[in-house]
Amino acid sequence: MTQNEREVIIEIKNLRVEFKGKGRKPFRAVDDVSFEIYKGETFGLVGETGSGKTTIGRAIVRINPTAAGEILFKGRRINGVIPKELDREVTRKIQMIFQDPMASLNERSKVDYIVSEGLYNIKGFKDEQDRMAKVSRALLEVGLLPEFASRFPHEFSGGQRQRIGVARALIMEPEFIIADEPISSLDVSIRAQVLNLLSDLQKTKGLTYLFISHDLSVVRFIADRIGVIHKGRLVELAETEELFGRPFHPYTRALLSAIPIPDPQIEKKKKVLVYDPTCHDYSKDKPKWVEITPGHFVLANEEELRQYEAMAG
Amino acid sequence: MSQKEQQVIQAIEDEALFTFAEYDPEAAERVGYSDYSYWGSTLKIFLKNKTAIFLLALMASLILFTTIQPYLPNQKSPTKIHVDPATGHPLRNQKPSNEYWFGTNVIGQDLWARIWSGTRTSLLIAIIVGIWEVGFGIFIGAVWGYVRQIDAFMTEAYNVINNVPTTILLMLLAYILRPSFRTMVIAMCATGWLGMARFVRNQIVIIRDREYNLASRCLGTPTSRIITKNLLPYLVSVIVMRIALSIPGTIGWEVFLTYIGLGLPIDTPSLGNLLNEGRQVMMAPALRYQLVFPAVVLSVITISFYVLGNAFADASDPRNHY
Repeated sequence: MTQNEREVIIEIKNLRVEFKGKGRKPFRAVDDVSFEIYKGETFGLVGETGSGKTTIGRAIVRINPTAAGEILFKGRRINGVIPKELDREVTRKIQMIFQDPMASLNERSKVDYIVSEGLYNIKGFKDEQDRMAKVSRALLEVGLLPEFASRFPHEFSGGQRQRIGVARALIMEPEFIIADEPISSLDVSIRAQVLNLLSDLQKTKGLTYLFISHDLSVVRFIADRIGVIHKGRLVELAETEELFGRPFHPYTRALLSAIPIPDPQIEKKKKVLVYDPTCHDYSKDKPKWVEITPGHFVLANEEELRQYEAMAG
Repeated sequence: MSQKEQQVIQAIEDEALFTFAEYDPEAAERVGYSDYSYWGSTLKIFLKNKTAIFLLALMASLILFTTIQPYLPNQKSPTKIHVDPATGHPLRNQKPSNEYWFGTNVIGQDLWARIWSGTRTSLLIAIIVGIWEVGFGIFIGAVWGYVRQIDAFMTEAYNVINNVPTTILLMLLAYILRPSFRTMVIAMCATGWLGMARFVRNQIVIIRDREYNLASRCLGTPTSRIITKNLLPYLVSVIVMRIALSIPGTIGWEVFLTYIGLGLPIDTPSLGNLLNEGRQVMMAPALRYQLVFPAVVLSVITISFYVLGNAFADASDPRNHY
């Protein structure tokens, strides 16, 4: 599979997102991040809390304004000021699934309104009957019953609520869905329910996902390629098995070493690496975003690059 | 294995007692269904509060009574000065009697008629000002709270307006415009919405960045619908409480303005005017009834609305629903 021939749906170029604090200089949540997402794949974005992974997702759906760089959707810039036509198209084609199903549904509206909210905005239905039919279809697609439309969110379990959130995104017929830690606030017993739903939908509808998570084993299960982000900078990006099999960056290696293994014997002997940011000497030689082997990118300076290349053999 | 355990195992294996249930994925989705409706539950909780029901009935009948009172038989004019036909002198400071139920005031006007006329005036002012506060105050507050770009400007504007003492503003308005019913309403509308606007703004700032609002923004929901569908429904209970408190508050302002001599003209009875007249004769124990009657009516109205507001706020808070 040659990467260049695949259709790029989202391209992020040197993205920077800043948050203004009072008086202090702006906080750089995302700094010089570039990557591409191909059509039909699941791109996993992993990193610790506060590393900027959610911020990237929110910058793509244009909730967080960008300070520099470009976000391209099918080759057209969608950050900053964009024409109304494009705005409407992007609102439709890019949807988001939120982390906390308890907080992401409007408690004072019925499921009927929550699911069809997007339809009202794009006037995506002919008449009331058509709208009801679309809501029923969206609910069935996520494994809920159409009669749930007349209930309030608080009558559902966490997994069901998250599926309502998925139905709300699906009704817009999106091409690209950002799943912002969609399972991290669910009970372990119902995580698989939502994960399997997401993969099934991807197969049937040809969706593209940006899957944001801090849980590496989940990302390994669902993602085709993974980007590792640390303190607002992407440090490594590769196909899933490549990244798990041959991690270069010390931060990635530290993350991978911390994954618990469900075997007490191995777990006992396992050595957890601790990432020490001072192991990089970037005072003279600034790091660059380099493709070290085909499709495998890493953030490194000249000296580190030589080490990594030696590791790659 | 004991004999008992063996018996149990045998019973389990006995197919007549236990059969396998067929797995139905749809049935697994059906969770305990509750026929919950927000307003239905609010009403249910409110109706449980016996005090509130009593006060609601009391206020309803008070409003009804003040409206129809002038059309009842044997009612006297609130402004007519009654004269003793024998002597030709005005019937001043008559004690409550069969003829004058609440007595007469210092110039011989019927206090019963004046109190209901005054209550009608004061309640009307309070209700008009209340409706204005709700409409305008909530509108300004909602926009101020949700639209980030105007927040700084609005806050400064609020500070400037709010720093002008309400009393001075009301006095100024009462001087510029001649004291009348309309002046009173305009003066209180000019200041009353400020508190409501700030209150709503603060509430909206608290909930505007919750995830469900971000979700609505992702779906491209226009601001006006986010405010009416996502934000205001969460504030119903606190807003209703504010409205209920604003009515006695406005009556209080009216009384105060009349007290400092800037209220309604003497020929328009209002609770403020009546209290002011009553206050002037307060030191004579025999005439104290002229203060007591309007004061009782005012107190009943104030307390009732306060308790009603609290009861409704409690009832409309979904945390109290079950």
